[in-house]
Amino acid sequence: MAGGDVKPAPASPCQVTNSAFANVRMSQPLQCSVCDAVATVHLTQITQGKVHKVHYCEACANKGGAGDAAVFQLADAVSAATTAPTLVCPTCHFSDADFRRSGRLGCPDCWPVFLEALDGLLMKVQHQVQHIGRAPSGALALGQIRHRLQLAQTEIAKAIAAEDYEVAARLRDEIAQLSAQLPAE
Amino acid sequence: MSVQDILAAENELTHMLGAQQAVVLSTRVRLARNLSGFPFPGWAKPAQRKEIANRCIDAFSKFPRFRKAHVFKMGDLPDMERAVLVERHLVSKELAAGKSGAAVISRDQTCSVMINEEDHIRLQVVKAGWHLRGTWNIAEQLDEALGASLGLAFSDRLGFLTACPTNVGTGLRASAMVHLPGLCLAGHIEKVSRALNQDGLAVRGWLGEGTEAAGNIFQISNQQTLGLSEDAIMKHLGTWIKSLVEQEWNARRKLAAEEGPRFVDRIARSLGVLRSAYLLSSAESMNMLSHLRMACDMGCLPEANRHIIDRLMIEGQPAHVQARRGEELDSDGRDMRRAASIREALVSFPEVGPPTP
Ligand SMILES: [Zn+2]
Ligand SMILES: [Zn+2]
Repeated sequence: MAGGDVKPAPASPCQVTNSAFANVRMSQPLQCSVCDAVATVHLTQITQGKVHKVHYCEACANKGGAGDAAVFQLADAVSAATTAPTLVCPTCHFSDADFRRSGRLGCPDCWPVFLEALDGLLMKVQHQVQHIGRAPSGALALGQIRHRLQLAQTEIAKAIAAEDYEVAARLRDEIAQLSAQLPAE
Repeated sequence: MSVQDILAAENELTHMLGAQQAVVLSTRVRLARNLSGFPFPGWAKPAQRKEIANRCIDAFSKFPRFRKAHVFKMGDLPDMERAVLVERHLVSKELAAGKSGAAVISRDQTCSVMINEEDHIRLQVVKAGWHLRGTWNIAEQLDEALGASLGLAFSDRLGFLTACPTNVGTGLRASAMVHLPGLCLAGHIEKVSRALNQDGLAVRGWLGEGTEAAGNIFQISNQQTLGLSEDAIMKHLGTWIKSLVEQEWNARRKLAAEEGPRFVDRIARSLGVLRSAYLLSSAESMNMLSHLRMACDMGCLPEANRHIIDRLMIEGQPAHVQARRGEELDSDGRDMRRAASIREALVSFPEVGPPTP
């Protein structure tokens, strides 16, 4: 198997924070789940598709326990979410079993292969599944255009409701111009 | 080319070349990028990793910002030198632990690239003080040049493709290193850290050295990388840092008012110990230097002395102490050397005065 001669680099802490799941009461000082010291590192871990918060003191978090556990459990969540028995990347032969072990993908082409299996996880980790940031120079930033289009459509509805036709006209032109940049569906 | 050049060179973080600031020590922007057509480093074969490293080093060496850059191959560096780079936040512990990673570091140490860490490329730009826009502008320029010279793995839907799902999209981690002695002394730090965490920001200690006290220094960074524009990520961080700086100042002023002479006494005692101790552990010196940094911010000590504190914090780390000495030292040896350099640096410090209102 490709890469079998290489130990994956030690997992850097894949720390995941999720504001939607953080309904911790503010009044109680949190204790480290390992040693009872005051916790200053707050992580969201994912086990069996469920998100929960864990708390470590600086010392315990840095011993690596926190990071490794988070990555391991991230991988667990994916295996639970994957209904197909095996997924293998045709480019690099990386499989879902490999992901369970390392919590990392094999190559850029793994993304479309594993995307469906990762979808639920991405929503939990990132809250979003559509990129709207930069694109490499030369590449068309479609995500960016779609995002701006969406914004303009919300704004035009507001402008029309407020009978602000000057703004609405400007937005209408912007929408036409943005739509023209998108490939035909 | 050696790590000694890195130690000897004056740079923003250790000398007053940039404007040091109260509360925010430094701003950092990190971009994760990968070459298309190659497995991620953890899955690539040694020959592929070599090819990746060659291509990346070649590309970065051509950028004006990396003229005469330091190029370090982790496999060629002694343990102590790799540890120095980790202590400077120029490379991660993970990169330093492997043999096939490399780092390209600009002459002024503002820009650095980790090659073959978790991703092929981890580009980092750091500036002293709070300068998110300026830091981002440099990173964006470099990213633009990078995209033009190497084929980067990118998808319309998921953005920049990374080895780990937690970095995909923008690949952007924006962070600030903040010094919060006021909030720590007032006992508010857990509450603040939880509030940040609940709003999608991670809070970490200065260096992640297990037992080392962090000198009341924390690193605040965004967690979400997908579905937010770079601008939105930075605005979110910026809003919080601004609020943190305000909260920290309020805590300090309240503390100074309530404690009166005891507030000045704490600082004066720290200066006294640092100026005369013969052995200083990293943890003890960091905490006392933290008091002195706050004193410089508040007019108890001259503001112009603040960069000296920053330099002592960085140079007091274990690998730095040994590398400067040029030999491995045991714990007592390190504590002795650390104390000696701090004593020497603080000789010219005046007596501690009351805070300016
Ligand atoms: Zn603990
Ligand atoms: Zn693959």
